[in-house]
Amino acid sequence: MEQLTTEIILVLCMICLAIFLFIVEWVRVDVVAILMMVILPLLHLVTPKEAFVGFSSNAVISIIAVIIIGAGLDKTGIINRLVTPVLKIAGNSSSRIVIAISLTVAGISSFMQNIGAAALFLPAIQRVSKRLKIPLSQLLMPIGFSAILGGTLTLVGCSPLILLNDLLAAFNLPPFQLFDVTPIGFFLVLSGIAYFVIFGRFVLPGATSQQEEQLSEDTKDLDDSYADVGKLHELRTPDNFTHYREPLTIEELRIKYLVHVVALSEPPHLTISNPSPEKEIRDNTDLAVYGTEKNINRMAEEEEIIIKETWETFKETLSEESAGTVEAVVAPRSELTGKNLRETNLHDRFGVTPLAIYRHGRMLKMDLADVTLGVGDAILLHGTWKRLKALQDGRFFILTTPIDVEETKPEKALFAALWLTVALVMILVFKIQLSVCLMTGALGMILTRVLTIDEAYQSVDWRTIFLLAGLIPLGIATEKTGTAAWIAHQVLGALGGSVPTIVLLTVIGILSTIFTLVISNVGATVLLVPLVVNMALAAGTDPRMAALIVGLATSNSFMLPTHQVNALYMGPGHYRSVDFMKAGGILSIIFIIVMITTIYLFYL
Amino acid sequence: MAVITISRGSYSKGKEVAEGVASKLGYMCISREVLLEASDHFNIPEIKLVRAIHDAPSILDRVTHGKEAYIAYIQSALLEFAKKGEIVYHGLAGHILLREIPQVLKVRIIANLDSRVVAEMEREKTIKKEARSLILKDDQERRKWTKRLYGVDPWDASLYDLLICIDKIKVHGAIDIICQAASYEAFKITKKNQQQLSDLALACQVKSKLLDLDSKVAVTAEFGNVIVRTKTDDRKARKLEENLRVLVKEIEGIHNIELRTREMRPSADA
Repeated sequence: MEQLTTEIILVLCMICLAIFLFIVEWVRVDVVAILMMVILPLLHLVTPKEAFVGFSSNAVISIIAVIIIGAGLDKTGIINRLVTPVLKIAGNSSSRIVIAISLTVAGISSFMQNIGAAALFLPAIQRVSKRLKIPLSQLLMPIGFSAILGGTLTLVGCSPLILLNDLLAAFNLPPFQLFDVTPIGFFLVLSGIAYFVIFGRFVLPGATSQQEEQLSEDTKDLDDSYADVGKLHELRTPDNFTHYREPLTIEELRIKYLVHVVALSEPPHLTISNPSPEKEIRDNTDLAVYGTEKNINRMAEEEEIIIKETWETFKETLSEESAGTVEAVVAPRSELTGKNLRETNLHDRFGVTPLAIYRHGRMLKMDLADVTLGVGDAILLHGTWKRLKALQDGRFFILTTPIDVEETKPEKALFAALWLTVALVMILVFKIQLSVCLMTGALGMILTRVLTIDEAYQSVDWRTIFLLAGLIPLGIATEKTGTAAWIAHQVLGALGGSVPTIVLLTVIGILSTIFTLVISNVGATVLLVPLVVNMALAAGTDPRMAALIVGLATSNSFMLPTHQVNALYMGPGHYRSVDFMKAGGILSIIFIIVMITTIYLFYL
Repeated sequence: MAVITISRGSYSKGKEVAEGVASKLGYMCISREVLLEASDHFNIPEIKLVRAIHDAPSILDRVTHGKEAYIAYIQSALLEFAKKGEIVYHGLAGHILLREIPQVLKVRIIANLDSRVVAEMEREKTIKKEARSLILKDDQERRKWTKRLYGVDPWDASLYDLLICIDKIKVHGAIDIICQAASYEAFKITKKNQQQLSDLALACQVKSKLLDLDSKVAVTAEFGNVIVRTKTDDRKARKLEENLRVLVKEIEGIHNIELRTREMRPSADA
């Protein structure tokens, strides 16, 4: 039995500190990782060299390369071009669409970051939903979950799997090959899709629209004001509007009546679209106002403004051809996250008016300026198409209703595909190390100008890099000091010695699932892999399989909307947390069963 | 038209002053009425409300938030009076319950400790030492209460617009000074302030109806548009939402209502 040394106690304290900080999020997770990277060598638990070895690890270099390759594929629009033929095959049936898009997303997600694949498909899914009148909530969750499941198809599909070989190297265990996990991933994706095709109508929201219809008549008024942003109306102020009253501004109308003035026309010939909030409203002014019937009528009555029967002044400027509304979803890594609408100042920067925000199944319409934005929040914006188009570069938002064609480089699609193939061939045929092959592919894309080197740098998510690199030394310390072995022995001792393999693997699967729901997937992998390898060694089970289960089960994150993909789809899908618990909870159980069965039958 | 609150320690003749001001200005003078109204409205014995507003919260209160609930009821009742204007309130905590409205004239009347001790000795027929300790205890209790519930010290002069030492200025002088101050522009309840008062009253009314479901619910209102903020879980939030639907029908003056729940941040999966 291992002795409990001071070093082990120190490492245990650091693990507890890391988990605690992951949960309370006093600082961001990548900062926690950097903290570990600095404290561990200071406590002499790792050498200074080991503390920073993460940056030169295969995992980190592979992730950088995968992100650049993903950005390259995105840039050429190659993925969007896949959508049309895929939909043609799928036809009009809802289940066939779910199957077709899910398989495509899963396939793409196996070579890209899951969140990237999910973000790419969001506009296309929205289009399909509109065209075929299938509720978005019926499509997004199955497809989003497929993006997560697709990450288990290859060893580069998600960060925990990329990390796995580096963690195994410490035990001198042979590394996994790129497609070693594919059979398991394949069954996981298939069972995920099958689950939604068969049980989707029972577990997904949107199918139970009768419930909403059943809302009694007396609550209808509220629902109107609650779930609806209303529509555009044209109004006119009378010629004595400003007499004997304090000046009335656009901002005041918004605060008082929850209406948005999106255009204004003053005599003789001044027309302003998206007037500034401080703008005072004068006599004989035409106003184009967005709001619910109830609020517009109340405003007209109290402020003595006339509602026009037909469109006159704004007939042309605000026609469907020139202006409209789009739903803009806050993109992953958007610089708008964590800021409120006042700080983001969409009005001045882009000349568009935010009408409402959809979040966690609720529509927010009041006091929008103070709402702090998060990834996946869907903002309903009104503006001219020209101005809305400026939002389309994807830096801030993903527009679920795309306007016009994106600025892509379709002529480079061949090069992008070529370099991806080169990387794959190098991995499969020449058996060169993963990071080298992927970096070759990434470099190839840069040299053939699929994307510039600056675009490549910008596409890399440094948060992910530091999270990975910073947590690797914690893994090293856990192993080097004997902490992992100590915990493993304690756990096995508590279980009473001999544990059947299948039970041990299932316990590891459940443990990893719980960890990934509470702390980051990378954190869970780094902490659990040394532990389970030791446990497996002591119990006489294949340690590589135990580690693989951790790598896979950290993708088993469907129950809470905390996974990035879930967070992204939550807003546009109008899902609530309870929807994830219901549909995701069952899938989590299926995931564990399928994973353990496949490994038990084919890998052991 | 003005709203005046008079805060006072024991034996500082605050009630006399309040009644004098009310009769001189032709305003309504209220104190216990607010408690009665609240106890009537929310079916709570008046004694509980008195204790809620007088004693510092007990440990049990701090867990159950019972005290906050009672205070919300009292605040709601007080605002119902205040929004009509022309009142002098000399009950407890007026300056705190209406602190969000700057146009409310907030007066504090203080008296010399020695004169208060003498008054207490006469009333309680007790010796000087005991009277002194009773007064100090009462002061301490009120001070603790305000600090616990609102994080402010009632002896902090910046909470008030006017601080009057009754020993020197006397009741008549105090009435004159307060009446004159009430006529200043800064304390005139305009249409805009009245809207503010109505909104605060509306928010308090909505809050008091939701406290059973969520003791930490926060409610704001602006021009009859009400935002309810909660940190509870999803299930409770849905219950709150159902209640909001009913409240819209029940409470007059709600134009729009919206529920905001706790933000759930995505994890940093990589």
